[in-house]
Amino acid sequence: MKVFINLKEWEFQEGAKFVEVVNLIKEAKKDEPMIKTIREKTGRSNIILFVLNGRVVQPREYESLEIKDGDNIRLIHPFAGG
Amino acid sequence: MKSIWNKILQVDLTARTCKTEHIPDQVYENFLGGAGMNAYILWRDCPRGTTAFNPANRLTFAPGPMQGLKQSGAAKWTAGAISPSINMNADSAATASFGIEIKEAGYDALVVHGRSDKPVCLVVDDEKAEIKDASLFWGKDAYEAEDGMKEAEGEKFECVTIGPAGELGVRYANIQTRKKSFLGRCGLGAVMGSKLLKGIAVRGSQSVEIHDPKEMDRLNKEINKRLTEMDKLHDEWLQFKRVGTASATELFAPQGNLPIKNYQLADFPSGVKNFHASNYAKELNAKPWPCQYCAIQCHNKCEIKEGPYAYKGKGPEYESFAMVGFNTMVDDIKAVAYACELANLYSLDAISLGVVIAWAMECYEKGVLTKKDTYGLDLTWGNAEAMVEMARKIGTRADGLGYLLGEGTKIASEIIGGGSGDWAVQMKGQEIAAHNWRAQYISALNYCTGVASGPNHERGNSQHIWVGHVRLPEWGIDEVENEERWSWEKAAERNAKFHDYCNVINSACHCKFMEFRGYTLTDLCNTINAATGTGWSLDDLRRCGDRITQLQKLLNIRYGWKKEYDFNYPKRFMEPVQEGPAAGKIPIGLEDAIMDYYKERGWDKDGRPTASKLKEVGLQDFIE
Repeated sequence: MKVFINLKEWEFQEGAKFVEVVNLIKEAKKDEPMIKTIREKTGRSNIILFVLNGRVVQPREYESLEIKDGDNIRLIHPFAGG
Repeated sequence: MKSIWNKILQVDLTARTCKTEHIPDQVYENFLGGAGMNAYILWRDCPRGTTAFNPANRLTFAPGPMQGLKQSGAAKWTAGAISPSINMNADSAATASFGIEIKEAGYDALVVHGRSDKPVCLVVDDEKAEIKDASLFWGKDAYEAEDGMKEAEGEKFECVTIGPAGELGVRYANIQTRKKSFLGRCGLGAVMGSKLLKGIAVRGSQSVEIHDPKEMDRLNKEINKRLTEMDKLHDEWLQFKRVGTASATELFAPQGNLPIKNYQLADFPSGVKNFHASNYAKELNAKPWPCQYCAIQCHNKCEIKEGPYAYKGKGPEYESFAMVGFNTMVDDIKAVAYACELANLYSLDAISLGVVIAWAMECYEKGVLTKKDTYGLDLTWGNAEAMVEMARKIGTRADGLGYLLGEGTKIASEIIGGGSGDWAVQMKGQEIAAHNWRAQYISALNYCTGVASGPNHERGNSQHIWVGHVRLPEWGIDEVENEERWSWEKAAERNAKFHDYCNVINSACHCKFMEFRGYTLTDLCNTINAATGTGWSLDDLRRCGDRITQLQKLLNIRYGWKKEYDFNYPKRFMEPVQEGPAAGKIPIGLEDAIMDYYKERGWDKDGRPTASKLKEVGLQDFIE
């Protein structure tokens, strides 16, 4: 099935859970300086946040939430500064 | 078009008249409002030869179609005029409720021209406008002036005011509102002072008609909920309501983005330690101070209870903190916060103030300035007392160096000489803000080519592709590698998109911090459509941004821009730093990148919009 992440099309298996999207993005972004800094400062792993079809996905939902064909996912990085 | 009044208030301070003018839909369809309206008014009413302190200069205060909407970020508004720092058209944005109040008074803009023969203030109470004597407020600081105006007119009025630096023509004087938000850059406060206009008070009670109230309500609820939930999920120190934008120092330091010692160094460990978010919250007793409808709450109120730097008021933001603190090597957080608040009271732009003092410190270090010039102050790097005192001298335009530094580093270095132009970190007369060109080359391109407000981080913001991880997938900016920080390959295209993006946001009048924290271009487009009924696509949104950028460029040319200005950048950024992630990086190839940008924009080799480009964006009638 097709899922859109930041408007780009991705293929996922039917029944895939949201955590697969999370892991995909975590791996892709793991060496970005800001992500590394925050990870080192906080010890947190969930640094990038996800919006699914307009609503924020809570980290507690990652394992159980099933993604669906045509889902629209946006990645939200932390931001600081003027 | 909905969500506008088709009306502006024209105020002539020379003739002491206030008249309402009808503005046709087409102007809003082309330029939206805010920054776009500022550019349109200048194009229409300020011919070639008009200068910043000429009474004919138009100072326009303009909200946009988003004011009056109960959406997070919809408290923004802009002002514009010909700037005394860059001597070209410029605009600047602020927040709080002044723009909302203009809208609720039944106007899409207040346009002030002429010059009064004595200090005055403008009072707008719904559609009744009056020019009143302000002799009692003249000479007062910007906050006292606001207090005085509210006492005279009523607490429900929203005000803008200037302090002594605006009255005395400091070229980077700002305009404040509600003691918390500032039209910081480009010296619009000095334009206001030149007109002997101390302040404006506005109160309104009218609601503008929205195209689709039901859809608007749905969008407001969804967006506000999303932004609020998202902020809660961030770690505490990254929540804006904790210390506002100042938390950036911790994220920018490892990226080599901070301005340190007049942009000479890559690291300032005691500054990073003292200015970190938890220390800020503790030492400055920071508390959230949100704007109307805002979910993010980046403004905060601080209180230093005792000591030489005791004050209660605005908490410094990243740019102020970085320029007044890191750039001067002052690591005393209380002294820096206090100096920033002094800047606010005098109405000095804290970015320029920090650069100007750092420039003077470097002059002092190199013997170009001595104690004879500095009122006996030991203007060494990191001397907090001297830094604070010098801010006072500049704010009051004290005879000698204080006065000269109020002219900005370009003029000051030309007069002082001694090679000091080499360390004047300015372009076109405006000091460079707190994003280091060596950390991402696109910052260099942004500053060199910006047309909205001269060299201005806020009018491009392309640095945030890296330092803030902002993406515009709707316009094709999404997957970006870290190493591309130091590549020119896609810089021209990205920079052009970010210039247009900023122009759309500053013309719709929305707060960019929403876009930086989860508010998408799709949200913006949907909101504009629900409010105005324009039915725009994402491409139409880009075209609007492009059109405004092109008009601003035409204005640059009208007011004296020359191609060489874009290439006359600060030499400092071509000196590499020796450590940190940007060690050895300097933006070599910038000249070619500027030419690439011209091409990307549809400009000729001399940096001028081509006739076909102007026709493409509907500006064929604007060719001079």
